[in-house]
Amino acid sequence: VAGKRQTKVEEKEKFSREAVAYLDHLYRVARYLTEEPDEAQDLVQEAYVRALGSYKQFTPGSNMKAWLTRILYNFFFDHYRQKKRWISVDDSSTAEKYVSDYWEKVAGENPGPEGYVLASELTTKITDALRKIPEEFRLPVVMIDMGDFSYAETAEILSCPIGTIRSRLSRGRRLVHSHLKAYVGIEKGREKK
Amino acid sequence: MKCEEARELITALVDQELLDPERPLLEMHLKECARCRFALEEERRLKTEIRAAADHLRAPAQLRNRILTDPRLFREKSQSTRGWRDYIWPRSFTLRPALIVTLLLVFSLSSLYLFNVNRTKQPIAVAALETYGLFLSNELPVSRANGAAKIKEQLIRAVGGSFEPMGYDFSAMNLEPVAGAIREIQGRKILVAIYQGQGGTLFCYTFVGSEADAPQAAARFFDADKKINFYAFSRGGMNAVLHREGDVICILASEMPMEELLALARSKARPS
Repeated sequence: VAGKRQTKVEEKEKFSREAVAYLDHLYRVARYLTEEPDEAQDLVQEAYVRALGSYKQFTPGSNMKAWLTRILYNFFFDHYRQKKRWISVDDSSTAEKYVSDYWEKVAGENPGPEGYVLASELTTKITDALRKIPEEFRLPVVMIDMGDFSYAETAEILSCPIGTIRSRLSRGRRLVHSHLKAYVGIEKGREKK
Repeated sequence: MKCEEARELITALVDQELLDPERPLLEMHLKECARCRFALEEERRLKTEIRAAADHLRAPAQLRNRILTDPRLFREKSQSTRGWRDYIWPRSFTLRPALIVTLLLVFSLSSLYLFNVNRTKQPIAVAALETYGLFLSNELPVSRANGAAKIKEQLIRAVGGSFEPMGYDFSAMNLEPVAGAIREIQGRKILVAIYQGQGGTLFCYTFVGSEADAPQAAARFFDADKKINFYAFSRGGMNAVLHREGDVICILASEMPMEELLALARSKARPS
């Protein structure tokens, strides 16, 4: 019996070590879910504890990164925010005032030399822009562009239809872009890196 | 197709998630519409930049430390055999002294045996770290040279060019290469590059080997981005992180906190 218990402890520890490989990714997601860095750290730590508590539900060989992300996301909404998981918003109103601006200007705008920016500055600008946009548009961007998840994986994590993910991702990217209006000409900025 | 309708489809095309029948419809529209072609390129660039921004946001060392020391996730050494007590500790008070004496006897004999037998069989990674103590007590013969290039050149020559030291640049940590040394342990040559400065002392060991050279008790961490295993272990108050690049093993050893050393190794390691 003692041997079995020891094996179980070792099994759990092995699982923890594999899960820790995704720490950077989970912290990234948590930073865009929470307001404060400390809150993000607490969220990640508790998500790991929760994941370990239900590690037997994880199928070896399946996508551990997506599984952990889903646990973190669910935990955030269960414990950090007492509100509906996926806020129902009128997709045609909240974002439109930002988006139309982008869509109208993106084609013909010439950024001029002052519009170009060094990559490090652009990184900060992108991070700031992501924080400014509504959460329902931010999360698909974080999951797909930062987390390298597919639409289907993101839909599973956020408990949302794939079509909604696609439309919100599209709007999310345009919102980010609209906040970077002064920095259009991204490619030229990269060349100066 | 109107440009308005193309918006979402462009997003899906950027992500390679656009399938028939929408894909040919969008492709046809793109052939005719310069504005949407520009929007497609702009969205591709934005996606690349967002991905690059993600790489700059990593978990702080403080969080890594919190996770690795959380007893709910990783056993503390003192807790590692806690569960056994219920099964091996005799209920009878008269048997307990007998058990203690027996255990002490077994422990003493096995320690003596292991000390004598395994001393020569300790993992090469652990044996290599002994040079750190020798260096600090001025007992390690080292070759001092001015500049990283000279030290590297001397070390390469010492092994007949069969492999090279890592040649990492730690100047951002206020550490500069000051000396090099060669050790032969268990028939294998180990190159030691010694860095010193305001950031303290750091040793970078290089030798031909495999991940099996990591001590069994080392904690393994897999960096999913670089797809490299890192093995963290401690010896005599010193921390060490081992990883493999091709057929060469690199160990960074220092007295700096483990999480900082691990972060440093991860930042320098090059995927094979």
